[in-house]
Amino acid sequence: MPKVIFRLFSTFVVFVGVFILIQQYLKPDSFGKYGHYRANAINDAKLIPLKYKGEKKCTTCHQDIYDLKYSDLHDAVSCESCHIPKILATDACKINPPKVEGSNEFCGQCHAINAGRLKKGPPQLDFKDHYEKQNCIDCHNSHAPWELKK
Amino acid sequence: MGTEKIKENRRKFFKSSVALLGGTLLYSLLKPFELIAQNKEDAVKEDKANDTLWGMGVDIETCIGCGKCAEACKIENNVPKEPFYFRTWVEQYTVKNNGKVKIESPNGGIGGLKQSVPDKDIFKSFMVPKLCNHCTNAPCVQACPVGATFISPDGVVLVDETYCIGCSYCIQACPYGARFMNPVTKVADKCTFCYHRITKGLEPACVEVCPTNARIFGNLRDKKSKLVKFLQKKQTQVLKPHLNTHSKVFYNGLSSEVK
Repeated sequence: MPKVIFRLFSTFVVFVGVFILIQQYLKPDSFGKYGHYRANAINDAKLIPLKYKGEKKCTTCHQDIYDLKYSDLHDAVSCESCHIPKILATDACKINPPKVEGSNEFCGQCHAINAGRLKKGPPQLDFKDHYEKQNCIDCHNSHAPWELKK
Repeated sequence: MGTEKIKENRRKFFKSSVALLGGTLLYSLLKPFELIAQNKEDAVKEDKANDTLWGMGVDIETCIGCGKCAEACKIENNVPKEPFYFRTWVEQYTVKNNGKVKIESPNGGIGGLKQSVPDKDIFKSFMVPKLCNHCTNAPCVQACPVGATFISPDGVVLVDETYCIGCSYCIQACPYGARFMNPVTKVADKCTFCYHRITKGLEPACVEVCPTNARIFGNLRDKKSKLVKFLQKKQTQVLKPHLNTHSKVFYNGLSSEVK
């Protein structure tokens, strides 16, 4: 083998060797376990703390309200649809209660009139014709909307 | 001299090609036995992952555009309130009598969508909730130069926040506009189907809060799941089927105006 070729070849081998070494050193631990990505990233994605805890958590204290809600038209509406958790509030509802105003604007998110909403869906109101200046919860029990207060 | 050299070369050539062939053959014979050498626990885990393939159904007919899903998503996943980036959002499509289509989504639908077109001009109007479609052939995964975005074994497209270099190629590649640059973490961000929730047996936040059950979440490989029942009952479509992304978000009542 000519000297030039030998030198060229050996430099090439050294380069490839160094590349493989560096790659081994820089590659994260679990890279390539399932595919071209870091497999531990799947576990990272699981570690985010929960904010919405689900209805089961609510019913540990508020079974009575849940039963009332379930008996009426808001049965499909989850607790946390309206009671938005204030930063981990469902852990400590008493300290930071997720209260709901029950204003026209709040209830109007679902019940305001809109051509895009199905007529057979939730009742739609034009709040200009329906007690404009009162809050919805002044008359309606939000957990059982057809139980009107006097 | 000439003929002898040729013969020698020929012999060498035959020898090396036989060795190469034999080596390849031997390797391919040994390959299946690698599974035995693997850790047994790992093999079981992989089997379990193959039992689940998460997907979502969206029922346009029952969506009322209240925007609760978009709001819940922002709270659950720490998405900045402003500027207006969304992992999921609701669009209101209004087809006017003159054939023009108006698409609006002020603040992603948070606070309830309001119709801005007077009733007499409306031909039809409907709400379309949008999110990452969790494609099986995801263009964003193909575009990522470092392998920071990937499809997990249970079919969810995720972003590795510690590995993303923030080049935003994936944002350009996504045909659904479902990705954005998170202004706080400075890396690509997107819907994860609330991966931290679904792996604990809960539903994604948007599905949890939907008051009309317009979003259905479940395992596509489980014949008893709600989602499979939804797909059996309704005639569903995916968005942009011509792009061959094989997305896993299925829409019922999708109108041709939706892009």
